[in-house]
Amino acid sequence: MRMKTLPRVLAIVGGAFLIGTIQAVVFGPVTLGPANLTTGTDDPKGDPNRLPVVPPEEGAPDKHVVILDYPTASYTGPLDPLLDAPVPEGTLTLREAKDLWDLGAYFIDARHEHEFDAGHIQYAAYLESKLFDTDIERANAVMDSIPVDGTIVLYCVGGECDASKNTAAMLEQYGYTDLRIMGAGYEHWVEAGFETAAGSDEVSP
Amino acid sequence: MSGKGKLWAESVLLQFPLRVGLGGLFAFAAYNKINGVQSFANAIKGFSIVDADKYGHLIVVAAYTMPWVEMIAGVLLVLGLWSRASAVAVWIMLVGFIAALVHVIMDESISPDCSCFGDMNLICESTVGWCQVIRNSVLLVPCSYLVWRQGGFLALDRVFRDKSGDNDPEWTVDRGGEGA
Repeated sequence: MRMKTLPRVLAIVGGAFLIGTIQAVVFGPVTLGPANLTTGTDDPKGDPNRLPVVPPEEGAPDKHVVILDYPTASYTGPLDPLLDAPVPEGTLTLREAKDLWDLGAYFIDARHEHEFDAGHIQYAAYLESKLFDTDIERANAVMDSIPVDGTIVLYCVGGECDASKNTAAMLEQYGYTDLRIMGAGYEHWVEAGFETAAGSDEVSP
Repeated sequence: MSGKGKLWAESVLLQFPLRVGLGGLFAFAAYNKINGVQSFANAIKGFSIVDADKYGHLIVVAAYTMPWVEMIAGVLLVLGLWSRASAVAVWIMLVGFIAALVHVIMDESISPDCSCFGDMNLICESTVGWCQVIRNSVLLVPCSYLVWRQGGFLALDRVFRDKSGDNDPEWTVDRGGEGA
């Protein structure tokens, strides 16, 4: 390597560091909170005096409410290959997620917006982690509709996808305490024939 | 074809498109990361290369610095300015990315998103796998070529070359691989 190359590489890195520092100062630094995700069907967390479940009426505007009762034990009945399919450790199976959905938990779709628009779990709100950077007002609008102690189930495409974990990590920084990751993906939800909706005109939970 | 004609052909057919393609790709990736620096920081954390509790500040520094290195190096490559230095920077980053990806693949306890292009995917799925390793390895080929051969005649390096007679080794493209 010629003698001018190394100083120039260092100049590139130094310039990048300088610009990055300016970016951090101007726009505020990022924060790295511990992603202590609450998953599975543990005992209830948060405020025990929450509103009871009000099942949505037929034809009524869809809006979930905070739930009172949670499953307190894992499902012990016959296993279904789809509903009880193995999921990454600490995440919800499709059955567990559906149970929480039936109980009125908040659902957040962390996939890309075009995927959300094409179809999502009914009542789910679109909240991709990048919104916290690019459109904080929109992220705030979703967060304003969910109490910090509400049970939130986040999902993406399933399997090893991390989009839901990224959004959960952001929500945790905003004080949300009951965050659960659906290990099964949206396609599994569709495959199971559970409730879905399309478009972005749906009422946020 | 004369020697200079061959070099011109090489510049037009190889160096220029590879420079613009690779530089544009890195600038694009950088743009997405800069627009989602929080997501990128989370992604770096997910790679578990350093202990986030102890060295979280390093992750934050990397989240702010790496995209700008990509952006500067990418733009310089497109322009053909400091061609070899920017190609070297890209080469080092690619090798670093490959090492990080292999580290994640080998460690089955972690499964972060690549975030190689911010929240977008290119060729590979978002989840880290061998696909990204292969993609980055393929990118190493044109990058290594540019480190060797630099930007060519169509690079801005040619415009700002030192004409004082002082032999700047960065300008030895017309001598083939000697200077590179």
